Amino acid sequence: MEKRKKSQGSWEPKIIAFLCKYCASAGADLAGVSRFKYPANILPITVPCSGSVDMQFVVRAFEMGADGVLIGGCHTPSDCHFLRGNFKALKRVALMKEMLKQMGIDPRRLRLEWISATEGKKFAEVTKEFVEEIKKLGPLGGNHE
Amino acid sequence: MNRKLRIAIVPGEVCGGCDMAFVDLHKHLVDVIGVADIVFWPIATDFKEEDIEALDNIDIAFFQGSIRTEKQKHLVESIAKKAKIKVAFGACACFGGVPSLADLYALGEVIREVYFESPSTRNDEKVVPGETIDNPYGIVAPKLVDMNYKVDDFVDIDIYMPGCPPPKEKILEAVDLLVRYFEGRADIEKGTVIAGVKTICDECPREKPEKIIIDRFKRIHEVKIDPNKCFLAQGIVCLGIATRSGCGLPCIKANMPCRGCMGPAPNVYDVGAKLVSAIASLVEIENEPKLSDEEIAKKARTVTDPAGLFYRFTLGLSRLIRVVKKK
Repeated sequence: MEKRKKSQGSWEPKIIAFLCKYCASAGADLAGVSRFKYPANILPITVPCSGSVDMQFVVRAFEMGADGVLIGGCHTPSDCHFLRGNFKALKRVALMKEMLKQMGIDPRRLRLEWISATEGKKFAEVTKEFVEEIKKLGPLGGNHE
Repeated sequence: MNRKLRIAIVPGEVCGGCDMAFVDLHKHLVDVIGVADIVFWPIATDFKEEDIEALDNIDIAFFQGSIRTEKQKHLVESIAKKAKIKVAFGACACFGGVPSLADLYALGEVIREVYFESPSTRNDEKVVPGETIDNPYGIVAPKLVDMNYKVDDFVDIDIYMPGCPPPKEKILEAVDLLVRYFEGRADIEKGTVIAGVKTICDECPREKPEKIIIDRFKRIHEVKIDPNKCFLAQGIVCLGIATRSGCGLPCIKANMPCRGCMGPAPNVYDVGAKLVSAIASLVEIENEPKLSDEEIAKKARTVTDPAGLFYRFTLGLSRLIRVVKKK
């Protein structure tokens, strides 16, 4: 990923989205097929399951210049293709947010959403909302938040 | 070998524990002295700044402690130029160690707390690092660098010796390797780590259940710890799962969980994030579907002080801290 320019004004947030193959990624596809409009700041990466998203991926994303990370998984309690993967993501993100807070990164930069394969509309809305939120927070780093 | 090795032991931000590790060699210290001359060791021998300039031909430099002040940086860099083999000795030199935890706060906050606000501080002259104190000796409190650095941020390190302090067996192993290297009988690859290649869990003799079932995380004073059962199975956070082996398990044997002083195991990208992934997902596995999302998240958050716990010795390696501090 290209290193972000510090100059404000022209700054646009970069967001990495880890989307599970069975729900959130299919939801993103549906958003595209249904021609719902959402900002282009988001870079989707399809993963087998939200439970396979190691928090090291989140660290790597922030390190490479992402300003926000979205993790999309299947609805709890019973939608997950691998039965309990979404719970793993839920617990990891909860603790990771605590750690980000301590390290001086606003925990709102990491977001977990349940998006099913039929919720194209929700995907578009979540993306829009998240990009707005990150825009308000500004670029990551530079000063202790 | 017909000449003695010339060793320098260089302190950075140290507590003295690493020096004690050398002294702790007991009778083996005689063997070490047999093959080596200690040419620089401020804690044991008298040295002034002019002596550093005069030093040359150092075979091995052991760097202890992290780098927090300009003076430490200067000392480490000037000795490194003269040394053939450079060894990072101890968790602080390798990963930043406990002093790195100060990087969780902005530098101004740290100075305010340490020099003015902590209850045990008395600083009537309002002296901060970098200022001359009015004294007959002209002593200057050295200026702080912007964050707490590990030694390899400034110096190319050949051998890493993690541990707080490195265990006796590993020090002897390193001395043996170094002697063989200078006799031409062994090679030292840059970045050699004198420790195990597996995780603490691989060596831990505690009984590990097939499935770990815990309803929340507890701190060590909250439970009576069973000395034969895996800590995680008792709800106590133990960092053995992502920590390098080779320490000889002194903490585990003393019925205390691993705190990670041997640093991340091989192939761990970011130790804190790895531990968050591994540890958070253990809680409430049985009852997940019956609880609401918020209840489950609350259980995962029962780990107290995650950054301080997971990065206790390794915050200097953290990539996120550098993102926050440097951009």
